[in-house]
Amino acid sequence: MGGGKPAASRRECGASPWGIERVSSVPVLELRGISKEFPGVKALNDVSFAIDAGEVHMLVGENGAGKSTLMKILCGAYRADRGTFFHKGQEVAMHGPADARKFGVAVIFQEFTLVPYLDIAQNIFLGREFSSTLPGLIDRSRIHAEAKRVLDSIGFDIDPRTPVHKLGVAQQQMVEIAKALSQNARILVMDEPTAALSDRETELLFAMIERLKRDGVGIIYISHRLSEVFALGDRITVMRDGRRIASLLPGETTPDKLVTLMVGREVDATYTRPDRPLPGKVVLEVKNLSATTGFSDVSLTVRAGEIVGLCGLVGSGRTEVARAIFGADRASAGEIRLNGEPIGSSPEDSVRRAVALIPESRKAQGLALARSVGDNIVLAGLRKLFPSRIYIPRRATKAARSVIDKLRIATPSPRRPVSALSGGNQQKVVIGKWLNANAQFYIFDEPTRGIDVGAKAEIFRLIDNLVHNGAGVLMISSEQIEIVHICDRAYVMRAGRIAGELSRDELTEANIVRLGMHQ
Amino acid sequence: MTAQALTRARLTRVPGVAVALILLCVVFAAANPGFASPANIANILTQSTILLMLALPMTLIIMTEGLDLSIGAVLTLASIALAMTAISTGSPALGLLAALGVGACFGLANGVLVAVFDIPPFITTLGTLGIAQGLSLVVTDGQSVVGIPRSIELIYSGSLAGIPYPILFAALAYLVTHVLLYRTRFGTYVFALGGNREALKVAGISVRGMLIRVYMFGGLMAGFAALLLTARLNSAHPTAGIGMEFDSIAAIAVGGTSFERGNGWLFGTLLGVVTIGVLRNGLNLMAVPSSTQVACIGALVILALFIDGLRGEA
Repeated sequence: MGGGKPAASRRECGASPWGIERVSSVPVLELRGISKEFPGVKALNDVSFAIDAGEVHMLVGENGAGKSTLMKILCGAYRADRGTFFHKGQEVAMHGPADARKFGVAVIFQEFTLVPYLDIAQNIFLGREFSSTLPGLIDRSRIHAEAKRVLDSIGFDIDPRTPVHKLGVAQQQMVEIAKALSQNARILVMDEPTAALSDRETELLFAMIERLKRDGVGIIYISHRLSEVFALGDRITVMRDGRRIASLLPGETTPDKLVTLMVGREVDATYTRPDRPLPGKVVLEVKNLSATTGFSDVSLTVRAGEIVGLCGLVGSGRTEVARAIFGADRASAGEIRLNGEPIGSSPEDSVRRAVALIPESRKAQGLALARSVGDNIVLAGLRKLFPSRIYIPRRATKAARSVIDKLRIATPSPRRPVSALSGGNQQKVVIGKWLNANAQFYIFDEPTRGIDVGAKAEIFRLIDNLVHNGAGVLMISSEQIEIVHICDRAYVMRAGRIAGELSRDELTEANIVRLGMHQ
Repeated sequence: MTAQALTRARLTRVPGVAVALILLCVVFAAANPGFASPANIANILTQSTILLMLALPMTLIIMTEGLDLSIGAVLTLASIALAMTAISTGSPALGLLAALGVGACFGLANGVLVAVFDIPPFITTLGTLGIAQGLSLVVTDGQSVVGIPRSIELIYSGSLAGIPYPILFAALAYLVTHVLLYRTRFGTYVFALGGNREALKVAGISVRGMLIRVYMFGGLMAGFAALLLTARLNSAHPTAGIGMEFDSIAAIAVGGTSFERGNGWLFGTLLGVVTIGVLRNGLNLMAVPSSTQVACIGALVILALFIDGLRGEA
């Protein structure tokens, strides 16, 4: 890669193969009044958005603000319920990915669509191979020559015969970009493109973005890093709760104002935190914990009778920390103590020591979906219920019934398949299974995902009951409002590290976002 | 890089299968003077041809993260169809057509079940293995089919300019598969089927259509191989192809094709087939029974992958 030099010095390297487009006042693509509803959620509400040729348009907002939905509509993966599209000022129809391609929209997703054991050139022209003069064969030298031309045009100096599996993430991203441009992309959507890049690689990416801008390519850039937003953006659009909140020029705002715009939500009165007794002794103590799964040097404590939040953006390492504490993933360094004693590193050990994990994915990790409610409830407590290691059906049913009554799980019988219950009741089963195991420490990972408001309140009451009875709780949630209203304290993670701790008084949404964003 | 380091780098790039092949040859040649004779070497290669014709398409199937357990049984059934047709019509050409027909039918069935009905390849081809094997026993009553035209036998025993026909056939099969895999759209998409199906979909290529073609190719090659098998035995036998799927999957594994992400190596499969041929021949010369040979092949597979794994880490 040839980057690093100032972008301007490359102007004489020759005109772009796609011709320089004049930056005009008419946007290349404009969306007006876009709405999109999913069952129970209004994902986008009357959003308008425009992208000019040769501009970098930053799109910011919290998780769930509607950025991804908007991008999926832009590339034709979703169809809008309402709204109109304009291409260079003309109203056009958008029926699917083929239409999006026609308007020159290409998306660089975080998951690349590259074939590892084909070379760079074959990947760029996958599905569009040049035919050889010999019938049925492909013209490999032409594919390589054309690929070289595209790679040169973005300043990516590499042999197009290199197999993709030998490339690093940054290089693969370049190949994706080359692939998009070879299809005459005029609008490039990048979803957190620097998430997996080193500083040096990020610099090279930025140099290339400058080059694309000069060639008149419009770039929509989704970012969680405020520094990028201001360094790169020609325009910034803030989204929140499915609405476009503001479109600003970087000169007329500040990082602080941006955060306020992203959060600026009315206080939600659904959850009220009841008074809790003062927390007791330390239940969980994590010291300098690191793991190859994506976090390092994490230290935190949870006391008895206390709910501690663990927040941060998706991908900041929250779930990985939870899994390591539970013993589902192995830690590479550091120590975990439960009630002062170091704990081993397997889930069996955790269950024996009464640590409960209520995982993020209820269906994949929390429940044996094909089995009955009763079977699921007794699962984690088998050792406690049947010390003789012999399963006694009557005792299992009795234990299950008591949990069903205690948690008010809506099921006619313990024998009903758990897959037949609603999301909220399924979540109660997951919690119930740990009640039986007499857990003293609970980790909740996104406990309210996919659960309706009424059930949410009940889940929170349950969690509250747990701490009243002396358990310690670590709660992960992307819903910052939940953390603010439920937790006594919170740690905020950023890029695999603890960015800060917020006490009860400091615990506000704005503070969580401020700590969680890359400054 | 110094010359020494360069040599070392080149050496570590020598695949495990080549090391295994050379080691086996050295050991067998030392143990038995007859092993290295030109006649025996020609014998090894000739005997490897049928396996190669099955292992070539199997390599492509495995590259799609699939499997074809039925290939040996389909070979058997195609051989029986060939013999019976050739005997009743007197025409070897019609016999070959029948064999290709059987192969194509099973290839299509495998492909459709895997691609359209989404049944795992292991289950699908285990089922068609049973069907093909059962049919073979039913139509022959468990007996050999004998009395095929003399011209068919010549296909295995004859030679052109000193090169046995089977080797010429196998060389042609290798060349065709090589061109298919590395020089056509079909081959490019085989890499993508195992490597990243999403990439194919995004490029507007039918994943189902490509998968069906890959399994069809396997069936057709089994049909061709049936010609060599029938000629070699001068008859068709309802159990002749049993275990051929084991040998071909073993050859591919030894040859360094990974079962993930579309990482295939056709030349490695060729080396793997020859390695297994050498192993069987050398053990035969040492009078090791056939059942023990199977155990040795199993051990070889594990050894070769173990060596490759060690070098991968280094």
